[in-house]
Amino acid sequence: MTTDLAPLLLEDTPIGPTAGGLYRRQNVYTGLAAGIFLGFVAWLVAHALWNSSNWGTDMVVTVTMVGWVIGFNLGVGTFNAPLRWMLGHDQTYDDELYAAGVGQGKKRYYKFCTDHKVVGTQYLVLVVVLFAIGGTLAMMMRTQLISPHSSFLSPNSYNAIVSIHGMCMIIATIIMVTGPFTNFVMPIMIGAKDMAFPRLNAMSFWVVVSAIPPLLATFVLGGVDAGWTTYAPLSVQAPPAMDAFSITMIVFVISVTVSGVNTIVTIFTMRAKGMTLGRLPIFTWASLVGAALSIYAMPALLIAFTSMITDRVVGTSFFVAGQGGTGWLWENAFWIFGHPEVYIILIPPVGAMLEVASTFARKPLFGYKVTVAGFVAISALSIMVWAHHMFTTGWAPELAGPFMVTTEIISIPTGIIFLCLIGTLWKGRIWTRLPMYFVYLFLWNFIIGGVTGIYLSDTPADEYFHGDMFVTAHFHYTLLGGAMIAATAGLCYWFPKITGKMLNERIGKTAFWMIAVGIQVTYFGMFWEGFEGMPRRVAFYDPIFQHANDMATGGAYLLMLGWIVLLYAGINSLRQGPDAPANPWHSKTLEWKVPTPVPLANFLVDPVVTSDPYGYGEPEPVGPLVMPAPDPDRELVPNLSSDNPLVRGDD
Amino acid sequence: MSSDHPVVDEPPVLPQGDSIVAGRPFFSRPVGKIFIIWFLMTAVGVLIGIFAPHHLMPTFLSHEGTDVWRTMVLFTILAAPVAAVVYAVAAYSLIGWRHRGNQDDPPEDGPPLRGNSTVTAVWLATSSVLVLVLLAWGLTVYSAEEVSHPGTLQVDVTGQQWLWTFTYPGTGVETRSLVLPINRPVQFNVTSVDVTHGFWPAALGVQVDANPGVTTVIRATPDKLGNFTVRCSQLCGLYHSFMYAPGSVVTSAGFSRWLRSEGASTTTGQATALVKKQ
Repeated sequence: MTTDLAPLLLEDTPIGPTAGGLYRRQNVYTGLAAGIFLGFVAWLVAHALWNSSNWGTDMVVTVTMVGWVIGFNLGVGTFNAPLRWMLGHDQTYDDELYAAGVGQGKKRYYKFCTDHKVVGTQYLVLVVVLFAIGGTLAMMMRTQLISPHSSFLSPNSYNAIVSIHGMCMIIATIIMVTGPFTNFVMPIMIGAKDMAFPRLNAMSFWVVVSAIPPLLATFVLGGVDAGWTTYAPLSVQAPPAMDAFSITMIVFVISVTVSGVNTIVTIFTMRAKGMTLGRLPIFTWASLVGAALSIYAMPALLIAFTSMITDRVVGTSFFVAGQGGTGWLWENAFWIFGHPEVYIILIPPVGAMLEVASTFARKPLFGYKVTVAGFVAISALSIMVWAHHMFTTGWAPELAGPFMVTTEIISIPTGIIFLCLIGTLWKGRIWTRLPMYFVYLFLWNFIIGGVTGIYLSDTPADEYFHGDMFVTAHFHYTLLGGAMIAATAGLCYWFPKITGKMLNERIGKTAFWMIAVGIQVTYFGMFWEGFEGMPRRVAFYDPIFQHANDMATGGAYLLMLGWIVLLYAGINSLRQGPDAPANPWHSKTLEWKVPTPVPLANFLVDPVVTSDPYGYGEPEPVGPLVMPAPDPDRELVPNLSSDNPLVRGDD
Repeated sequence: MSSDHPVVDEPPVLPQGDSIVAGRPFFSRPVGKIFIIWFLMTAVGVLIGIFAPHHLMPTFLSHEGTDVWRTMVLFTILAAPVAAVVYAVAAYSLIGWRHRGNQDDPPEDGPPLRGNSTVTAVWLATSSVLVLVLLAWGLTVYSAEEVSHPGTLQVDVTGQQWLWTFTYPGTGVETRSLVLPINRPVQFNVTSVDVTHGFWPAALGVQVDANPGVTTVIRATPDKLGNFTVRCSQLCGLYHSFMYAPGSVVTSAGFSRWLRSEGASTTTGQATALVKKQ
């Protein structure tokens, strides 16, 4: 019993032959079938009822998309447990084991699975797919911009691609760390057996999956021609694609909110003995802050897109000037979501990146408490800066000053991240493995993203740069060069734990250099375009911008190639990489103390934490973890659902 | 050289070695080397700040545009030393503190420095002071631009998919090109007849959205002669790329001539005043 993992390894855990009930028949394919079926039924009904009315097409598209989303989630099993509960019986313990993926091998990755590690892995694949879609769209844009009047894309296709590239990447970056790493790693980091709400966890994944087909359907529904910000009134009069787009966003809000609540509750209630808030790994803090911020910001987006749908489908006029509405209302609602969203994207990867920095500098994190305070301060300030996106809209010029103040103050807590990073590097023993490469690239890029952000926070300067390529280059430096590179550092760091294989660093470093150089060339090209005054989102441009565009397009091809090489490194390592030891980096956080592959309930024995996980160079007794001697009488019961009485009794 | 031992500046027998290091000349200590890197990077940053905006941005034809240029120079020069601190420490960490040799196993642990309240306080104080300077500059420039001057030329700007119309109130002149007299404050009253557009005479360094149903205001004072392009900075549909108009800053006399050639009704007193001003 002491070191025998057998009871916890998936294949060998005995469960009843009928356990799981409906779950046994469900997977992503039944989800697709049910989604298409219900979508078709919804289309028939809507077509019969409303096609002849004034807003016929919009109503039909909206109802069809809602039908698809509900059908897909019914088919994949999202609603099984609540439906059963409504019918008067609950899931049995064996059902819970089945839903956690016991005995299903690789098939569980295609199913509604409540194991947080499966959900994390599913998210990782989804994020890669979304980045592939968004990246392909980006390449199409850059190809169009190869010459001033290229005929590669029609203006309408170009505008549609601009919008969907933007929103696809925003969705991907919001979930790129909170999906894979907060789900897979964070519960193990705090000594939990799973997330607090495993079914909601699986739901948050499958709901966001169901949001992606409507997003792609926009291309055949006329295209969203209003950019990812979909400013009204252009978006109110956009083709029916806008209805599908709105459904995507509403469904995505549900997913992120559910996942955020789950993260917060998990961190507050599921920590191991001794894992005080002061000993939380910094990535856990970052996840907590990011989740809290998403609970604040996401409802604004929900309100915005709900109003958008009612404007388009039932004839309200929130955003229609002639009937008392205003586009400024949309812009406010959108950016009340949109600025905190930047930090929802940024803070979790930064936390992951700081874990990497501490491990590979072999030093404790510098200024742990100040950094946590910095995260909290950033998120608190970030809800008060949204109107800097509206400096040039003409809305409330008298508020430009106050918003300039809050925006520039946010650079103080952001600077703390750099202090923490260089303090951690100071006198470290820098171990230059692949994850650490990306930490240095983050540092390089995010300084550039930060400094260029300061120009834009200055209203008079923004009155030149707003709406031009400088802004595009700036936020790509922060979101791609900063957040996505930090997330890549985390991916390379946790790859051995998640996949059980070591990442091929030789190919990985080739990819690194292509990505590193690609980012600089691409976005310095865009800064150049911006300095010269090229507007954003144009399919054709003045020949005076030709050279800058050549630079950006060339860099973009290199950058995309770099990501493809990195993807190849990952796939190659999955197939033929050496097996990873449990703790290849000799790191001190809890996820490295459990075996690889991680057993179902993570820990054989409940860990007791006696210090924070950054005791590098400190005497050994202050180790982060004491594993008490296993209690032979203790039944090794996975905590599959915190509302399962069997599990509750175990605590 | 054995690959088992990390190469460090200090003799390996002294694990911390600070006492030895501290006795060395400043520039052979890590702090001294970091200072050299910092100094060079700051110099590069300052040079970029001085030259890049000048070479990359268009020639600004107004006070407001010159303010944009000045802001870029000032902010870059202020940011350079701060960014250089981060870059210098990072660069030195790769030169002086990198674990060399066998990369398969982790190096020994570094010193357990968990923070330093003095460094943190200095860092926070410096960034706060810098933010105050930026704010003082930005708010001053912004409030100066918001002031309405007497004798301001009014120009009504109307955006629609996908063209700009400029009207000079009181003259009856309505054109597709924006012509402005030099050294005279001008106020653009901007609106749209369909979706939101972005009125952006880039060389004037100002920008404001054209929203349907409301009029937004932006001011500028042209101070150089020249031609420029008015572009749309807000995605406005299919031919957003083609929504631009020619613009020029001309002499006062040239402006009067142009107004008359456009059929200005010079009989009204207001128009005469408008033309005679300056």
